[in-house]
Amino acid sequence: MTNDVTTTVEVDLDMIAEQVWSAFLNGGEEETIFAAPDTGAPVDLAASVAMVGAYEGHLVVSCSHKASRDVASVLFAMEPDEVTTDDVGDALGELANVLGGNVKSVLPSPSQLSLPRVSATGHERWPGTVEVCRTVVRWRDEPYVVTLLSGGPSNNAQGV
Amino acid sequence: MLGIVIDDSRAMRKILRGLLADLDYEVLEAGNGREALNVLESTGRVPDLALVDWNMPEMTGLEFVIEVRKISEMRQMTLMMVTTESEHGQIVRALAAGAHEYVIKPFTRDGIIDKLALLGLVPAGVS
Repeated sequence: MTNDVTTTVEVDLDMIAEQVWSAFLNGGEEETIFAAPDTGAPVDLAASVAMVGAYEGHLVVSCSHKASRDVASVLFAMEPDEVTTDDVGDALGELANVLGGNVKSVLPSPSQLSLPRVSATGHERWPGTVEVCRTVVRWRDEPYVVTLLSGGPSNNAQGV
Repeated sequence: MLGIVIDDSRAMRKILRGLLADLDYEVLEAGNGREALNVLESTGRVPDLALVDWNMPEMTGLEFVIEVRKISEMRQMTLMMVTTESEHGQIVRALAAGAHEYVIKPFTRDGIIDKLALLGLVPAGVS
């Protein structure tokens, strides 16, 4: 099976990111730039969910440590310097989960979503995948890179 | 009124707990379906409402709905799925299994309150 959905998903990824930020992260009340330029700023953490089934791939959210603390501080209603490492992992994982679930809804179905994984970007790899599309959200002056990957071990077996 | 929030994300549980607390609910929490069944058994109480995530470790939200619907004492509890799972077939499965309502993340506070009001689960004088 191939994942030839690049054009459709690229449009939806911008929209989905805007919906999620606006609903969960006060995006409508603070200066948030959607579909922001990708400056290639270094990122420290990546949260991802895998999609398995009619669509095989991953949805990944990458950001800096500061950005991850900002997300956790909003979701837990705490100051950024009060959040713990566990809070950051939980919050960033839930952000990836919500983004991934909404992306999955516009991809071929049926597919299942994995539980989220959060790790340092230097330790996370998605072998056998290709990037389908990405969008950048700049929130509180920090970039969040949302990337949809296609493929993985099961697709590799089919030569995709 | 008594509610239970079942979600593996602590952040999501905190958000939903706060929403229900603002509606004068007493709120229980569980991190997955199995834990929720244990909480219900240990407290011996029947919540008016359960907000149930789908994708959780150990026991999913759908499995929880199926299991809790087998318990006659729990039949009066309203089950609202609150999840990122938005495939039509999955929504149909959850409703067929006994869920009463379905909310897709990301939700808005008003969106959930409107659905609770339609179900008669917003106490009079609270909004």
